[in-house]
Amino acid sequence: MKKGFLVVLVGMALLFACSLGYASKDEVVVCQGAEVNSLDPARHNSVTDENYAVQVFDSLYFFDANGIPQPRLALSHKVINDTTWEFKLRKGVKFHDGTVLTAKDVKFSIDRMIDPQVKALFGTFYSTIKEVTVVDDYTVRIITKSPDPILLNRLSLSGWILPADLVQKQGAETFFQKPIGTGPFKFVSWSRNDRMILEANQNYWGGAPKFKRLVIRPVPEIAARVAELQTGNADVISSVPPFLLGKLKEMPNVTVQPVLSGRTIFVYINTYGQDALKNKKVRQALNYAIDRKSIIDSILSGAGVPNAVAITKYHFGFDPTLKPYTYDPAKAKKLLAEAGYPNGFKVEFLSPSGRYVMDKEIAEAVAKMLNAIGVQTEFKVMEWGTLVQIYSGKKLKDLGFIGWGNTLSDADGTYGPYFGSAESPFSYYTTPALADKLNKARTTMDKKKRLAMYKQIQAEIFDEAPLIFLYQQVDNYVTSKELKGFQARGDEFLLFYKVSK
Amino acid sequence: MAGKNSTDNETRKAEQKIKFRMLIRRIPKIPAAIILLLFISSVSAQWIAPHDPTAQTLLDALKPPVWLKGGSASYILGTDALGRDVLSRIIYGSRVSVIVGFAGVLLSAFVGTLLGMIAGYSGGKIDSVIMRFTDMMLSMPYILIAMAIIAAIGPSLTNIIIALALCNWVGYTRIIRFESMKLSTAEFVDMAVISGSGRFRNLFVHILPNVLNTVLVLATLDVGKMIIFEAALSFLGLGVQPPTVTWGGLCADGRSNLSFGWWIATFPGIAIVMTCLAGNLIGDWLRDELDPRHQLRT
Amino acid sequence: MGLYIVRRLWHSVIVVFGVIVITFLIARVMGDPVALLLPPDASKEQRIAMTHELGLDKPLYVQLAVYVGQVVRGDFGKSFRYNQPVLRLVLEKFPATLYLTIVATIISIMISLPLGVISAVRRGTITDRIGMGLAVLGQSIPNFWAGIMLILLFAVKFRLFPPSGYAGWNAVILPAFTLALFFAAATARLTRSNVLDELDADYVRYARLKGVPERTVLLRHVIRNAFISILNMVALQFGLLLGGAVITEFIFSWPGIGRLSIDAIYGRDFPVVQATVIITASCFILINLFVDVVYMATDPRVKRG
Repeated sequence: MKKGFLVVLVGMALLFACSLGYASKDEVVVCQGAEVNSLDPARHNSVTDENYAVQVFDSLYFFDANGIPQPRLALSHKVINDTTWEFKLRKGVKFHDGTVLTAKDVKFSIDRMIDPQVKALFGTFYSTIKEVTVVDDYTVRIITKSPDPILLNRLSLSGWILPADLVQKQGAETFFQKPIGTGPFKFVSWSRNDRMILEANQNYWGGAPKFKRLVIRPVPEIAARVAELQTGNADVISSVPPFLLGKLKEMPNVTVQPVLSGRTIFVYINTYGQDALKNKKVRQALNYAIDRKSIIDSILSGAGVPNAVAITKYHFGFDPTLKPYTYDPAKAKKLLAEAGYPNGFKVEFLSPSGRYVMDKEIAEAVAKMLNAIGVQTEFKVMEWGTLVQIYSGKKLKDLGFIGWGNTLSDADGTYGPYFGSAESPFSYYTTPALADKLNKARTTMDKKKRLAMYKQIQAEIFDEAPLIFLYQQVDNYVTSKELKGFQARGDEFLLFYKVSK
Repeated sequence: MAGKNSTDNETRKAEQKIKFRMLIRRIPKIPAAIILLLFISSVSAQWIAPHDPTAQTLLDALKPPVWLKGGSASYILGTDALGRDVLSRIIYGSRVSVIVGFAGVLLSAFVGTLLGMIAGYSGGKIDSVIMRFTDMMLSMPYILIAMAIIAAIGPSLTNIIIALALCNWVGYTRIIRFESMKLSTAEFVDMAVISGSGRFRNLFVHILPNVLNTVLVLATLDVGKMIIFEAALSFLGLGVQPPTVTWGGLCADGRSNLSFGWWIATFPGIAIVMTCLAGNLIGDWLRDELDPRHQLRT
Repeated sequence: MGLYIVRRLWHSVIVVFGVIVITFLIARVMGDPVALLLPPDASKEQRIAMTHELGLDKPLYVQLAVYVGQVVRGDFGKSFRYNQPVLRLVLEKFPATLYLTIVATIISIMISLPLGVISAVRRGTITDRIGMGLAVLGQSIPNFWAGIMLILLFAVKFRLFPPSGYAGWNAVILPAFTLALFFAAATARLTRSNVLDELDADYVRYARLKGVPERTVLLRHVIRNAFISILNMVALQFGLLLGGAVITEFIFSWPGIGRLSIDAIYGRDFPVVQATVIITASCFILINLFVDVVYMATDPRVKRG
């Protein structure tokens, strides 16, 4: 009886100790702010989803830390003519079940992204692809509908290669309960809102990861996320608000890694609404009214960089010589007077809450600055679900605060949806001439020519000021000091195959 | 002795006036003082607050309260991450708390009492329908319903009051219905029916004044609940939005900073607690005062 | 008695049906999920196609009829976001919430019963005031503040529990305490009130007059009789807790249906919102039905009310 009692006591003590959950040397724990929607890439619509896919799968190409697509499953590519691309595949790549990757898997996977039956959410990026043909076991050709200079970028975005035979045999629903890819980690298990457990792929073509297990946990509450890091339960946490960074930097077992983000924050101007906003001088005035530096310093604790044209160095086509609008309220008032609004005018300014870092606080500061030059701002904060319906339903009245990420690492990824066509759901400004130029740039294969085109387009957009340009985010990833080799990226991807403890 | 069942309205009204005055004299002092402070602060916020509640000053960010190291006398309760004065924000926040608390309670009490009276007095089919409807509302998780409603109509102050009331009226209906049922069999009501006065007139002239005591007790206890509810909605991002300042919003905003800037969320939290405490103590005291058995004990 | 059960069952059916309709309507007015589902770069054609695929372009009454028909057959549809059958999703996450709720209820009873009884027995003394003061405090503290404080104190500072998550037997303690806070306080006050009522009853006075020792009076009569109304209260709370765990589950990253429903509301995932509300409400109604029947069976003093 006593012995039994002792056993129970020891057992409980062990259980207790285990449950304290210190991430051991063989395990890396990541705490994100959101949960993966689905294990099927066709249902992915955000980088949170893709951060699971990038561990388990590979694509033909993938962005490096500077946003340039690098060969992964493809060894090289050749542009045969304006609409035909040929890819040579890496040999000897094995899926997690041992089968060898061949061209038919590539054809199947890309076909799936454009298949109208599958209705992939990112499918809109693949709409330029007409068809995929298998030339031989390790050669694939992709034919586009019209010249597509950023095909490699598209393939880098959610272009995960699936094992064709297995998916077809099991059916997508069964396959994605225990997905298999060629990636550095094998899928072990997933409990929604709890944790995803991945295991190192010892046969990874790029070299086996240096630790055994990767655990991805969604922890939505900031205080809890930081607590996980402080107690040693987590090795990497993302989405840490800037006001905590000062204290976190002081902690002995913590490293803070800042990285310039590809995400830019700005304010929509609805040029289809009131007359004042149709006037270029007014829009420029709005830009001169903003003290970007003070916003970055005081509200973001320095975690930002003033931005000129809504794209960043990560976007192909970016012109670094363009300097952001300066803070010049006197000039702003003068421009307003010249445009015929010496006493300002009224605007409605909408902002999300909690969607972007310190969004409503920054928007409030911007509203105050606009008030200071005479633009009377009716400031309204809304929940993102409501706001996105207003934005994409073309119901925005005057001004709206918004951010835009870096999906394609190309200028067209931002300018296309925003200024490419009047029908585009998120577009509140365009001119036929600009739309034309963007179309041309989108379909010009020559890199040098494209660069020149975008330089000109950016100058025009800067001058027309269809947005109140604000800043480029600086993301901060907080890791435990034990973690080595973790490189924070501006595209919010978390890569672990070079990481060790 | 002329008691509650007296058919002489005049005498009853005079008695009630005297009882009311004696009641006020016996009100518990500290809770009443807190509620009074609340009202004064909300009405005179712009005069008594030391700073503009939305003024951001980088240099003064995250200052601790004056009695701690690093604190300053110009920010008695410290500042938040943007350098805004916590005390001023609490003072301005009392405005919305007062409005939300009292308007929310008023609306829920009104709806709940009306339905309860109609149910209890009418009986039969109408009672059944109202009761089933009450059961429906009672069984649905109120947070989700409030969230869904606000997600639909937007988080303005009015909408939040409506949403709070929609989730809270059931607390009145059952109890008021019970009281109304008892009253509908009382002597004086029977006499009114016999003398031919209409049903609705009966409801308002005879039933309502007699359930008002219960309503008052319930309402006082509910004020704190409304403020807490608004805090929960702010936590979920669906409370009253900036630049309007509310205690719930302050508490919710400051929660990420509880380890390094505990004062930002804690002092608004204390304000909420004090108001709830005051409301509850007064409500309890009222219940004891208005309870007929209490008369026997004293 | 049998007639009572049948009548209550019939009422419950009506109420559940009403909940289904009301939930459907509330969910639908929340707005348009398509804008949230598709990446912002999606074209207009894609949006129209998705609206049609989700069946959202049909008139409201048609959608309602379709939905009710499905629910009656046990089909709660597919989640807009996750593309999985909703019922399976909810049933997967239900055990976590159930576990949390049970532990929270146990903690709540363990705190509130003694507190309520002692306060009642020592009515008017300083013990009573402190006890009830604590109870009111428990009802007044915003529970998210309490939850995060618990994490900072007991997880970070004292390293006694994990800050969040579902792993380990002790992971449930902090969230359960957070959840129990409000309800323990409310139950303590109601317990005190019920026990006071019993203490004033005639049979207690009679027993005292007869010279029965106070402790026996307390244990054998008062508590036993108050117990039934307390049971009623606990069942009610259990049902309320099931739906009230939303904030606690969010803070502690607890993978239950509270988490599921918050994400669903933000994401305008109607089928999931509807299913969680309907299932939670049905549990509540069932629990109440059960308790009412037991109440009726054991306490003959209760009439229609």
